[in-house]
Amino acid sequence: MSLLSVQNLKMHFPVRGGVFYTTQAVCKAVDGVSFELKAGETLGLVGESGCGKSTVARSVVRLLKPTSGNVIFEGNDISTQPQSALRTMRREMQMIFQDPAESLNPRHTIGQILEEPFIIQKMGTRAERAEWSVELLKRVGLPADAMFRYSFEFSGGQRQRIGIARAIALNPKLIVCDEPVSALDVSVQSQVLNLLLELQRDMGLSYLFIAHGLNVVKHMSDRVAVMYLGKIVELAPASELYQNPRHAYTKALLDAIPIADPTQRRERQLLRGDVPSPINPPAGCAFGHRMKHPKWEQSVGMDLTLKEITPGHFVQPCPCCT
Amino acid sequence: MPTPLLEVRNLRVGFQTDVGLLTAVDDVDFILEAGKTLGVVGESGCGKSVTAMSLMRLLPQPAGRILSGEVLLEGRDLTKLPIDAMRKIRGNDIAMIFQEPMTALNPVQPVGMQIIEAIQLHEPTTPAKALRRAVELMEWVGIPAPEQRVNEYPHQLSGGMRQRVMIAMALSCHPKVLIADEPTTALDVTVQAQILDLLKRLQNETGMAVILITHDLGVIAETCDDVAVMYAGRIVERGPVYPIFAKPQHPYTQGLIRCLPKLDHPPKTTLPVIPGMVPSLRDMPAGCRFASRCPNPHSTDVLNTRQPWKECGSGHGVEACACFASQISAS
Repeated sequence: MSLLSVQNLKMHFPVRGGVFYTTQAVCKAVDGVSFELKAGETLGLVGESGCGKSTVARSVVRLLKPTSGNVIFEGNDISTQPQSALRTMRREMQMIFQDPAESLNPRHTIGQILEEPFIIQKMGTRAERAEWSVELLKRVGLPADAMFRYSFEFSGGQRQRIGIARAIALNPKLIVCDEPVSALDVSVQSQVLNLLLELQRDMGLSYLFIAHGLNVVKHMSDRVAVMYLGKIVELAPASELYQNPRHAYTKALLDAIPIADPTQRRERQLLRGDVPSPINPPAGCAFGHRMKHPKWEQSVGMDLTLKEITPGHFVQPCPCCT
Repeated sequence: MPTPLLEVRNLRVGFQTDVGLLTAVDDVDFILEAGKTLGVVGESGCGKSVTAMSLMRLLPQPAGRILSGEVLLEGRDLTKLPIDAMRKIRGNDIAMIFQEPMTALNPVQPVGMQIIEAIQLHEPTTPAKALRRAVELMEWVGIPAPEQRVNEYPHQLSGGMRQRVMIAMALSCHPKVLIADEPTTALDVTVQAQILDLLKRLQNETGMAVILITHDLGVIAETCDDVAVMYAGRIVERGPVYPIFAKPQHPYTQGLIRCLPKLDHPPKTTLPVIPGMVPSLRDMPAGCRFASRCPNPHSTDVLNTRQPWKECGSGHGVEACACFASQISAS
């Protein structure tokens, strides 16, 4: 059985305005996303900014209440649970944010930040909590005296380590990583990625790993889902997706990765335009619409739920892009 | 040998702070030839942007100043020019684009007006002509429907379009040198590819030289002719892009290239790392600054004495720390 099962998740935001502040349009940030995540597995989620990656992440940990659809974690549907039940559930699922500078309270010492999860969950005595916090710091490779310092005294990489320490404090099963290394330098990035892999091996963590760096996602993930305008257009085992992409958007994304080898310079097929707005998205296949594909019209009104073409490789079955 | 378009010699830039004078850029030199692209790569805080700012003489005042060195644009030393002469150079000869176009553009003025302002500052022209020129420029950098876009505000444009506006503004007076400071860092890969392609096309059309500052080695590999690798305020390795990637000499360059997750790398395996962190500006060693993170065994002498610069191929040079100087092979 899978640890996490997301079924037809939709997250629509009303766009209000006008004299009476009425709903003028609906922003369909996430529009029917389904995936499964097994224990100990990493699912990568990639796509351009504005495609709904972060909204999916926030809905999975119920920082946002989905408009419709189910998020089933260990058999419980968390999308409908009352607020009071969420606290126990959040022991099992935690989140790591993109910018560690903004996700750590600047007025708290690192000790206070790391003890907070235990205080919220009413665990341990003061002495025990301090002891656990030191353990956590050691676990992520920081010295114990960091306890008494503030987040601004640390570099970006160290701050991200603190963010990770806080996320693993309660021994969760699932960690949602929302762009955990995008703000870091290359040499520090690999240190943090190694730490995440090591923790996964030791603690059996599952990751929902969101990033726009496709090289990073490939390295971290067992399976990768590609999102475009609120929908998953392709989902496959990582190596399969990168070697044998089937959807035109996946191909375009992969083609745009700069390769750190000057002997492999090449002419690329540039994508024109930007991601369209999720407010009033086009009918049918949104990417076919952007590319003005001649077969796009056939996709309007079609059932675009993902189809399994080879074992484990799912792709949106539109006539224009696959 | 003809005078190069831009030559930077022994540039040192410092900031006066509460804890004394901190040298952010220490003895940087490089040459930029007309029509070429020089990539400057390094981690945050290594002095890439400060170098760029000092070429433009736009260091934050009063804290920042050029301590010594020369910036020669066609033989003219920019560091000694009076303010008004420098103002004519900016835009006309050297222009700059920034990482985050949202903060670089004025949010309460239509983008067209901002381009017009740049044009009118440098050449006397009528408003109508300037407007027409702005529309042409926007079309040139690939903004669809420029007649409408001139009247739009920055928030109405996407990140890629904003960066195009910045480029249009920078190129409005045909500069000889364009400094692009992390121009695509805030953008998606697909848009990044568009912007890099645009820069290349504009460079071919105008023959301008580009200094491309980035931390992304992929971008460097795809767009630059020459590379300067900066670490902790100094250039540690410099040369044409092919030998730098094929035969990096400095352990820092080697480490940077190695620790990138590559697409053909076995997934979920431990990545090579550069351990530790950049030393603080406050206690920067006089000698090799990479020593504390260097995988090679070395004596403490390398920390105390400045390590010599050594050429190891045509145009390819490296700060030859004693820990690897004997192994340098000509490329």
